[in-house]
Amino acid sequence: MDDDDDFFTNLDSGNDHFQNRLRNAPHDDDDVPMPAALPLFEEGEGETPLQQLIRHWMNERHAPDVLPFAEDVLSGLLDHIRRQSETVQLLRSDPSSSEEEHFRTMLAQTEVERVKFVVRSYLRTRLFKIEKFARYIMTNPEVQQRLSENEVDHARRFAKLTDQHFYVSVLQGLPDNQQTLDDKTPFLPPMIAEPDKSHAVFVHARQRCPPVRLLDGSTLTMQKGHVSLTPYSVVEQLVMRGEVELV
Amino acid sequence: MALPQPLRVSITPTELELIASEQLVDVVPLITMEKTAFISGAYGPLRPPNKCRIPLWMAVNLKLKKKCHIVPPDWLTVEFLQDRLSEETSEPEFSRLPFRFAEIARAILDVASDDVQNAEKVRSLLKDLREARQSKSRDGLSQIDNSELSLPNLCLMEINEIRPYFVKAMNVFTQLKGQPEAINKDAAHEDDNDA
Repeated sequence: MDDDDDFFTNLDSGNDHFQNRLRNAPHDDDDVPMPAALPLFEEGEGETPLQQLIRHWMNERHAPDVLPFAEDVLSGLLDHIRRQSETVQLLRSDPSSSEEEHFRTMLAQTEVERVKFVVRSYLRTRLFKIEKFARYIMTNPEVQQRLSENEVDHARRFAKLTDQHFYVSVLQGLPDNQQTLDDKTPFLPPMIAEPDKSHAVFVHARQRCPPVRLLDGSTLTMQKGHVSLTPYSVVEQLVMRGEVELV
Repeated sequence: MALPQPLRVSITPTELELIASEQLVDVVPLITMEKTAFISGAYGPLRPPNKCRIPLWMAVNLKLKKKCHIVPPDWLTVEFLQDRLSEETSEPEFSRLPFRFAEIARAILDVASDDVQNAEKVRSLLKDLREARQSKSRDGLSQIDNSELSLPNLCLMEINEIRPYFVKAMNVFTQLKGQPEAINKDAAHEDDNDA
């Protein structure tokens, strides 16, 4: 946010007549109905697969726990990326392409890179959590349900690898009763790192939500568009059902 | 590591701008292009001098190559922002603004300030709005407890700005008021951060 100060200060004045003409330019005749351009308030129309992935990505970034893997959305988009890149390659290898074609391929290519960025960031965020909670995931079959096969496999190998490393480097030199990695001593934090579900998150309601019970015993009913800061455990179910998004 | 340290606590403003750039904006193109299928949908045809609706990132891209003019949204005008500013300074609540207004206004003013009427006035109004709202969101910190804090009409960029401090504050409240198990969990979490 450090360049925010020159955000609005870069002065420039325009030609008013020209801008009025811009605003009043007619829409193209065979324009199909489109969602409103930059509406004052976002409407709740159907999301495109890309918007769904962006929502899953943001949820994953903010939630302290590993969320269910958005497998269908992701595989659909990966397919689409592959098809789009193939088309771009095809058009590029065509030497007779016009300037118009050139712009289309450039825009298509730019979009492919944008989507790839989101996909990568989404997967990396999950990978980070999986490595952090590897041992917790391996002791908890319910959490494994939320991971893809590859992710479970990675968690298993990662947990095994770190266990072996700890054993070889330190634990084998200790007395037998101190060699375990899952001690649960009273009044001490457990040795297996668990997601902290009391971590506070910002939620944004995507629709009217059923009431949730807050930690102080009162209930909260969120209207569409409501923004709230609350511990993750309060809204966990709403996030899983897609009724709210984390922002 | 899979996720660099600075990205673990929050979203960066550039990432927010990337997301906001998926929204649609009207442009007056200076080149022709047939209707083309993109991953996020089909856009076009571009036929000057008719308006067309395309994603903001595409508009910014074309604008930088001087191939279109961006039609600024209705809320990016001196009258509208002036209204909101007077509302902001007279009412205790946040005034209603588009959820991603800061990112979009920035993207448009950065590349297409010549398409915005009275751009410098719009900029200074946005800046005043931001300051008025910032002081209100700081006041919100006094109402924080361990269960819930409602922030009606707070926008995404503002949420991102107050996030580190507010989240930390609420976590400390939870820690202080929580049950013994919860305290243990929090302590474990602290250890992770230290490691």
